[in-house]
Amino acid sequence: MDTVVEARSLTKRYEDFSLRDVSLEVRCGSIAGIFGPNAAGKSTLLKVLAHQAPLQTGSLRVFGLSFEDAEQELKNRIGYVPQEPVYYPDKTVQWIARFAAPYFAHWDGAGFYALLDQFKVNPLKKVKHLSGGQKKMLSLALAFSHGADLLILDEPTAGLDVVHRRALLDRLRAFVAGGERTVIVASHITDGLDAIAEEVWFLDDGRAVLHESKDELLSRWKRIHYRDGALPQAIEDRLVQVKRQPFGSSGLTGEFPALRDALTGPLARGDAKLDSASLEDILLSIIKGA
Amino acid sequence: MDPILRRSSFYYATSVVTYMALMGRYFITRSWPVFEIIPLFMPVWLASALLASEHDERYAFLRTLPVADRSVARVKFLLILTAAAVEWFLMVLVASLRTADGAATSSTFVFVTLVCAAGMLVTGGLQVAVWRFGLSAVRPAVIVAIAASLALLIGHTFALKRVDAWFAFSELPPIAWLGGAPWLSSAALVTLALAAYAGLMRVGVRVKASSEAHL
Repeated sequence: MDTVVEARSLTKRYEDFSLRDVSLEVRCGSIAGIFGPNAAGKSTLLKVLAHQAPLQTGSLRVFGLSFEDAEQELKNRIGYVPQEPVYYPDKTVQWIARFAAPYFAHWDGAGFYALLDQFKVNPLKKVKHLSGGQKKMLSLALAFSHGADLLILDEPTAGLDVVHRRALLDRLRAFVAGGERTVIVASHITDGLDAIAEEVWFLDDGRAVLHESKDELLSRWKRIHYRDGALPQAIEDRLVQVKRQPFGSSGLTGEFPALRDALTGPLARGDAKLDSASLEDILLSIIKGA
Repeated sequence: MDPILRRSSFYYATSVVTYMALMGRYFITRSWPVFEIIPLFMPVWLASALLASEHDERYAFLRTLPVADRSVARVKFLLILTAAAVEWFLMVLVASLRTADGAATSSTFVFVTLVCAAGMLVTGGLQVAVWRFGLSAVRPAVIVAIAASLALLIGHTFALKRVDAWFAFSELPPIAWLGGAPWLSSAALVTLALAAYAGLMRVGVRVKASSEAHL
């Protein structure tokens, strides 16, 4: 099975927000990043993909199956981490695990408690006494502990300290390393998840405004630092997010392959320098329509 | 035992136990028209159990588990049905024991059946409303309804005791007529109530699956 998630024209309407006509395909063994500003529709999209929110129009198949036909099987194969904790606040972490375990076909209790130990979450603590980060770790531990083939993670690093964030990123890389398991993650970009995503979707105002592999995206988008007046005007006019500084200027381009030849001269003379663009820069440029 | 069933059953079991412990003893010990009054508290108790259960429920968590919405909905409806059935059975049992001393008559059985059926259907309807509109939207109306019901019931009780001309529900003509009808009419009442409840459950399953207000 090459395609794990196949979604066509997903639409989900709320009173004050709509996810509109979003299509995506996620390959097996990849990490797909869904990025965008607040209220872009990332969480809504993930809820629809994980069958947490009913789909209104469009079609969705996960592992070639629809939730209408195989909800139980699919939820056994999906580990979903919601943006907000959804557990019984007066119950302990251990109670939550005991409650959930019988529903999963491949529950790994030892693995769950090992993860809690690694995350420094006391299983005897009540959920309401956990910090925001610990609640997120509980969600992650549950998602990792039932043999899921697909993780759908909504802001998984929110509330995590740098140590646990890096540990999670390593774990996600290891999760997909065999090529048989897949991760879909939604994020605000600035938390390191952009570094591990292979396929990138940008969402804005409920629509998918861009989909590309990260490598292609980063090869197309470059930040150019240049001495004022050193670039041909035609190139300078096509730059976005231009920053004027006393020692020169810099700007972004999403058309680097097309500009490469024209930049050869300034680059060779040392009048210009190329830098990688960050996904955050690219997202900002696209959303602002610059 | 299914964890969702186990967890939610606590509230309904508590409802049955407290109802029978606080109210049920009157059925056996009192000479005033207990079978006229005490059954009327049953819907209030059942609705309160629903409110308590829903207050502590976390449907968003349940939806992350490999359990279909229809299974969750059926468990919740099964609990309401079971609680109503147990209370109905106990009330009918005690009424049978008290027919000899005249505290219960043939129309008492019809009255108890009607009240339990109404309690079950109303509570089932509330369950659907919670799924459709969310607990926070439904709760104020239910609390007001429960408070109003309690006030009316207490008023009814005092009126029955002090006003000779005050009506008794169990003596209303249709109920009295059903009481005098063959036993099949009572069986038909139960069948009708169960059929209506099954229809309500089908609606509930659809509402539960398509709504997010309760998450």
